[in-house]
Amino acid sequence: MSASELSEVADLPDPAVPQPGVERQVEGRSPWQLAWIRLRRDRVAVVCAAFILLLVLVAILADPLANWIGYNATDQDQVNGITADGLPVGPDAHHLLGTDNLGRDILVRIIFGTRVSLVVGVSAAVAAVLIGVIVGLCAGYLGPVVDSVLARLMDVVLSFPFLLFAIALVTVVGPSELIEILVIAFFSWAAVGRIVRGQTLAIREREYIEAARSLGAGNLRIMVIDVLPNLMAPVIVYVTLLIPVSIVFEATLSYLGVGIIPPTPSWGNMISDAQNFYQVAWWYLVFPGAALVLTTLAFNLLGDSVRDALDPRTERLFAK
Amino acid sequence: MQTANVNATGSPTPGGTLRMIGNADVDHLDTAAGYYTTTYTLERAFTRQLYTNPASSDPATSISVVPDVATELPTTANGGVSADGKTYTIHLRPDVMWDTQPARAVTAADFILGFKRLCNPTQNSVGAPGYYIGVIKGMDTYCAAFKNVKPTVADFKAYITGHDISGMKAVNDTTLQIELVKPAADFVNILSLPFSSAAPVEYLQYLPDDANFRQHTISDGPYSITKYVPGQSYLLDKNPAWTQASDPVRHQYVDHIQVTLGPDENAVQQQIAAGTQDMEWDTTVPTATVPQLKASNDARMGIYPNYDTNPFLVINQQSSNNGGALGKVEVRQAIEYAINKVSKGKIYGGPSLNTPLNQIIPPGNVGYEEFNLYPTPNNSGDPAKCKSMLAAAGYPNGFTLIDVYRTSGKHPDIYQSVQADLQACGITVKGVPSKASDYYGKYLSDPTGSKKGTWDISEPGWIPDWYGNNARSVMEPLLDGRTYGPGSTDWSGYNNATVNADIDKALTSTDPAEVQKAMHEADVQAMKDAVIVPFQTQSTPLMRSERVHNAIELPSSVQYDVTQIWLNPTS
Repeated sequence: MSASELSEVADLPDPAVPQPGVERQVEGRSPWQLAWIRLRRDRVAVVCAAFILLLVLVAILADPLANWIGYNATDQDQVNGITADGLPVGPDAHHLLGTDNLGRDILVRIIFGTRVSLVVGVSAAVAAVLIGVIVGLCAGYLGPVVDSVLARLMDVVLSFPFLLFAIALVTVVGPSELIEILVIAFFSWAAVGRIVRGQTLAIREREYIEAARSLGAGNLRIMVIDVLPNLMAPVIVYVTLLIPVSIVFEATLSYLGVGIIPPTPSWGNMISDAQNFYQVAWWYLVFPGAALVLTTLAFNLLGDSVRDALDPRTERLFAK
Repeated sequence: MQTANVNATGSPTPGGTLRMIGNADVDHLDTAAGYYTTTYTLERAFTRQLYTNPASSDPATSISVVPDVATELPTTANGGVSADGKTYTIHLRPDVMWDTQPARAVTAADFILGFKRLCNPTQNSVGAPGYYIGVIKGMDTYCAAFKNVKPTVADFKAYITGHDISGMKAVNDTTLQIELVKPAADFVNILSLPFSSAAPVEYLQYLPDDANFRQHTISDGPYSITKYVPGQSYLLDKNPAWTQASDPVRHQYVDHIQVTLGPDENAVQQQIAAGTQDMEWDTTVPTATVPQLKASNDARMGIYPNYDTNPFLVINQQSSNNGGALGKVEVRQAIEYAINKVSKGKIYGGPSLNTPLNQIIPPGNVGYEEFNLYPTPNNSGDPAKCKSMLAAAGYPNGFTLIDVYRTSGKHPDIYQSVQADLQACGITVKGVPSKASDYYGKYLSDPTGSKKGTWDISEPGWIPDWYGNNARSVMEPLLDGRTYGPGSTDWSGYNNATVNADIDKALTSTDPAEVQKAMHEADVQAMKDAVIVPFQTQSTPLMRSERVHNAIELPSSVQYDVTQIWLNPTS
């Protein structure tokens, strides 16, 4: 631990750190423990984490929840869920958040939409980060030849007008959840790769890497044992920030009709369907929209907090 | 049902600018190719045909055919039709003029030129040459050879001027003689399509419907296109060469017609409701806003029958999936019982905008007669009956069907509604989304794929190209299996000798009662065989501004006839 990091720890009003007038035992703490402590003390982070936990629970328990509410995601309630003119019915005792234009319960569909959003969002973000880390690590560590090939590859991927290509690709291959995850991952990994590459380039010049090499450590060992752990902080931050991006990406693809195939609900295709009815059925647009906004907001704020916790030296734009 | 609101009060006052607003441009401006109803709206103002549909608020009259450039309807009595029904002699009004400099009379040769341009081999040639080839003598050989002509102005001009359709002859400037391959009772209907418009020789200076052509349209109607910015706007002015005496159908009340393109249906609706625009161009009143306009009895909205069957469920009888289950008539009949027609109607705005249909032929089309071979309570489907029939047919556990649907408009909703209906009957429906552009070519009209089972069921619609005596534009394309092949619209692959014989009878017979009977018989037979499951026939809600008077809807363009409208002078 460097001197500056030590002083940083001392600045914190940490109960574990000696406070004036209080006799405390000095404890040794790893940077991870310190980050965890900072994160726990961040109220925004705790609220967001709780919200995300709730989302995960809702996604897992979607089926029992739907049973309890009394409708399935594809049940078309012709009696209480739609008017004779084919208009959605507003929030009432039968349907807490109202219905859509086929008489389906909005609440139940939002619940099942959570599942799609989380599965696609998280899998795509994780896949993107895995690819990004592997490619970035290789580019940064394996020397100029590998670097120039992989770095150009990342430039190429980054220069794609991704939405256009995503739509074209899905149109050719045919939409499905798996394709959607692959498409999102494909267009997201390069940004991660670039950051990892930059970090790796800096780290590989450090003395301890040189020491490891002179002790006879192989490339793979150095990359995995010595470099990778030092990349974890930015990578974790990136995962938390990529998840909301991927969720929005998923909603966008579904909105454009190249994502999840109906009747499976996704927030994106719910918002898309609601377009023709927003003037007469605000609930149709507002509730799925709110679900999408709150979820991405929670992930983004949590991501910010994680970054603050892992790297407290970074100046925040609007620091107190 | 709320119906027409003509606003015919007061006497026609000329003057003013009729402002139309809508979303997209026409498909083609060339009469040889223009196929959108919106295009027909515009063509009504600047083109003329031998016969046409009159403007009338009486539904039966509005789908009838009356003389336009021709002086009278051809009959055997007046010598217009030969005794064998194969030769038509048509006399033209001498005073119909092109707006050329100087104005020139529209002649029989101009009409022949219109027909000769129909099957031109450019990518802009869509049209419907099928209504002419095989009907007019010599059209087939003329078109077959035209196919190989290089698409250049010079080559087209050389071919068109150097070759004749053997069955068409300009006896003199005002007499046109047309010989048919076999009698066609609906021939005047075919001649009333905008495709059958006259074309001036100047059109030979351009490739059909290219950008240059579109800037140089020549009018023989009451209005001329004086300014056209593709995708943005049209300005039509009065055609000085047109005279009221030469035209029994159209009028020239407003001074200008201004068309603005761009806004979607919601924006269009708001502008017309606010009175800043007068009439829709290609959009309709948004379905979701119809109930409130209806509730307030807004006189500016009119609802007009489309005489269509749209959409309906077509069952692919040839599909090899599930061991060819859909080839069994009992299985298809079970599906007839499963469909809830009321829920399909709700997707299209409910009972004020559509009526459940239980037979193939919708009202306004020859052979229409209500009957119902598969009654269900309140038209809401009978899943129990479907289930028991499926079990009796040997499928107690149901099976899985592939439903190919278009991702645009209300098609996904209809697919999901069918899916729910069939689910209740124990049939699992798997959706295959398709781009609108792939829908027919890759799925419905591809015999190889259909046999292989790329799709089992689907929900297309059918809007006849003309109404009234139209076996050729409804039952023949939908059910005649003799010409089944790539591009066929007999999507189910149905081929039944009784139906085919009825179609032949309807196409040739000149006795309206016999045509009616034959088509009804074919309808009953095809419904017995459960070829399709009809859902509904729709109506179109149109909006006009307060100042629009004499708004008479034309079923052929599903829009008000711009040549009838006059504007309140105090507005």
